[in-house]
Amino acid sequence: MRDLKHIHFYEELLEEANNSLVRKAKDEGNVAVGYTCYYIPEVLLNVDRAFSVRLRAPRTGSLDISQYYMSSFICGYSRALFERAFEGGYNFLDYWCASETCQQMNRVVENVDELKLIKNDKFAHGIIDAPLKVSEHGVKHYVTQITHEFLEPLQERFGIDISDTAIRAAVKEHNEMCAIFEEISVLRKESNPRITPREMHILSLVSYACPTAKILPYLKETLEDLRTREADEKNKWRARLVVVGSELDDYAFSEIMEACRAYVVTDRYCFGTIPGRQQIPLTDTEPALEQVCRFYLDTNMCPRFMSQDKVMQRHEELLRYAKEFKADGIVYEQAKFCDFWGYEKLIGTAYLKDKSDIPVMSVDREYVISGSGQLMTRVQAFVESISLKKRQKERGVR
Amino acid sequence: MAGQGNLYKEKTAILKHRQWRGLKDTWYDYTQWLKLWYMLAAWLLKHPIQNVKALFRYRWMFTYLTVPSFFDRMMASMQGAALRAARNNMNTLVIEVTQMLTDLFTADLHLHPNSEKAKEAGKKIIVLDELVPILLTKGFKGYKVILQQEFAAYLPSLINQHSPVHYIEQSESYGLPADVCPLPSLEAGIAIEDDYPILAAPCFISCNMPCDGSIMTSALQDRRHGLKSHALNIPLRWKRENVQEYAVAEYMDCIRFIEKQTGAVYDWDALKEAVEIYNQQTRLKMEKWEMNMTDISPHTGATAWLYRIFEYQAACGSKIALKNDEKVNAILRRQVAQNKFPKTVRHRAILWNTPANMYANLNAWLLDCWGIDSVAEMIDFQGSEIIDTSSKESMLAGIAKMAQGATMRVHTKGGYHVILDDLWVKYEQFNADMIIMFDQISCKGVGAISGIFEEEARRRGVHFVWLPQDLMDPTTISRRSMRDHINRYMDTVMKEKPLDPTLVDFDDSESW
Repeated sequence: MRDLKHIHFYEELLEEANNSLVRKAKDEGNVAVGYTCYYIPEVLLNVDRAFSVRLRAPRTGSLDISQYYMSSFICGYSRALFERAFEGGYNFLDYWCASETCQQMNRVVENVDELKLIKNDKFAHGIIDAPLKVSEHGVKHYVTQITHEFLEPLQERFGIDISDTAIRAAVKEHNEMCAIFEEISVLRKESNPRITPREMHILSLVSYACPTAKILPYLKETLEDLRTREADEKNKWRARLVVVGSELDDYAFSEIMEACRAYVVTDRYCFGTIPGRQQIPLTDTEPALEQVCRFYLDTNMCPRFMSQDKVMQRHEELLRYAKEFKADGIVYEQAKFCDFWGYEKLIGTAYLKDKSDIPVMSVDREYVISGSGQLMTRVQAFVESISLKKRQKERGVR
Repeated sequence: MAGQGNLYKEKTAILKHRQWRGLKDTWYDYTQWLKLWYMLAAWLLKHPIQNVKALFRYRWMFTYLTVPSFFDRMMASMQGAALRAARNNMNTLVIEVTQMLTDLFTADLHLHPNSEKAKEAGKKIIVLDELVPILLTKGFKGYKVILQQEFAAYLPSLINQHSPVHYIEQSESYGLPADVCPLPSLEAGIAIEDDYPILAAPCFISCNMPCDGSIMTSALQDRRHGLKSHALNIPLRWKRENVQEYAVAEYMDCIRFIEKQTGAVYDWDALKEAVEIYNQQTRLKMEKWEMNMTDISPHTGATAWLYRIFEYQAACGSKIALKNDEKVNAILRRQVAQNKFPKTVRHRAILWNTPANMYANLNAWLLDCWGIDSVAEMIDFQGSEIIDTSSKESMLAGIAKMAQGATMRVHTKGGYHVILDDLWVKYEQFNADMIIMFDQISCKGVGAISGIFEEEARRRGVHFVWLPQDLMDPTTISRRSMRDHINRYMDTVMKEKPLDPTLVDFDDSESW
């Protein structure tokens, strides 16, 4: 296939957290707000002059300093963020929105605060207490926390307009971006899709890592390009897979999938398109803030939600994706030392094996994925076993 | 009592004969040891068939046969008021635990399959996650409460270091990563092995305490036991006032759920009665802390903290426990008044972070080998607020606050300042000269701020000893290597000689 429009520019944007679009937004006097997790409603960080940057630590090398401060048993993502902050890579941030949900990520921002790592006089942070189940009083609590920890400080420190009108405007822009991803996602249902897993991963990443207003025009053009793009004549994919798991901001993962001729039909991981790239419906009967918060709690798929209705929702949704996208298998990927996904992959694998005959593979991985021969071997073997089963099925072998 | 190490049998560290502690204390200890055997035998013979069946049905149940040895280890070489307080605490624990085990086994469908009697008994039991304080359920008069993991997981892990290993291996062979904390891993392993008693209980209350691993293991266990469950969400930033409304709403929601499942009506008067007992327990505990701040800390070591966490979680509002507290405090007051401590104390240490269950008697070794008295331990500090019983609302607010400060999470949640700042406060209050910091290697919440601890300790110039351990898994870090860590610090940094050289290095790898 011919190169996707802007793909090289997107790759460039992913080379550092403080990329050219972030710098441009800052130069225009906007306020950079960092965050790491779906528990932080991204759209609310894009009100008025504020813009969100989901934090990454591209080109991570040694993690020695973070190992000293955070021990070696902490997930690579958290340690890489700390290391990058220590190196001064997040000095562009004006505010950091965090939540005491994943303890490890929470500790990153606490370390950053204690050690005063962000060299920016205006810098501050807020940490919310977020519920782990959905209830009306939970939504109220969530709204209170977000208001006190994020919105009010943004207003007080930077003069950001946090009114209902401003929130609705941010939702409108967010929905425009989500509509693009919804349309692209449908393309992945094609038997010989015109977008590759790597490209999709990159598109998703830039949408999180760049200011929405700045990346939106490029994404629109990319979508336009995709509409007329044609897939290679020969369908090279041997297996269609749903990928689900923890934080994954290194698109080398998708490159490995591609190298093994595995097509990622949908991506339910942190930095993936599910959840996060679905439009938020708003009514006029209730304040936008409450509707947004309820939406984020309802659609949150983090294993931290422990009530059984949410646990079942996670498993059932996976089966639904598999059916809808005609997947041949499901891959659980877990960032090493992530307690939540360590358990979730165990519980989920057992559930899926009980309730369906879809093949499931669980892998754990480091933060930096490129060059992971072990991961490639696992994926190759999984794809091989799926192909074998397909062939056997075609031949009528039981 | 130098030469204590000579009393140990090789590898098992079982005593060759009982310890000599002076005539009066040896006699007291011996009679208490006999009393313990009597209590255990009386319990066993009350329902002999049921209890023997439990022994053969549950792997963890065998651990309880070693309780007398466990008590001896916990109270090694104790004398005077400390010995008497420890024996009274632990005997109270036996009274409460044996009663709960009887309640549990009587309703256990593993032991009594298809038994209507067991089913009926089960219907009168509310099952809670072990870190939900049972105080809340005191309003459900006529209902017994079982803390789901307490008897199968937590207590056995203290009594016998090898007890968790099999279950942890089960979890890992099922696919759980080996780096997760052994506590939730152990609990998950027991569920996977189907080794929790099965009850026809009306409901199960799970919760998000104390940590991320516990949240996940609750979800796993929830699926296994199949009871109607309710997830109680306890706020994490618990120091904030703006989370309290949510905490109370969660408790009200929980009460309504239990009412619906049981058909019972919540009795606020019964709750008030229990809360008042709990308040008295709290006052007596605060007095113990104050006594430990004196030069003669009379109530230290694992028997103190183990009793405290048991009382806080399982025996809050218990008249039996309160009676024991009154008796123990009277004993301790006498010792403080005499201003005498029968042991040699060289250092007053704060033990911070979660202690190692697999080496609960570490405190005794520290004192006997190096003269390090554990005058304050993080695990011991929970519940220092008196609950206002003047109205339903004030009681609920107080209970909600109490639960937020449950065992372990009272320090590990709420922001890093909570665990960091309180350490220095305790260091001053207890007039300490050393800090032993448990480096619980799989505890990510504390591990992730280890650098901050290190730097602050250096800045303050205090003796700060990191002590690696893996909570419940002796296969990762053994008791011997934990001792070795302390030995090296005392030898190379403190340049001291041990009080009892026979305790410096010995092999207890096969000890319970």
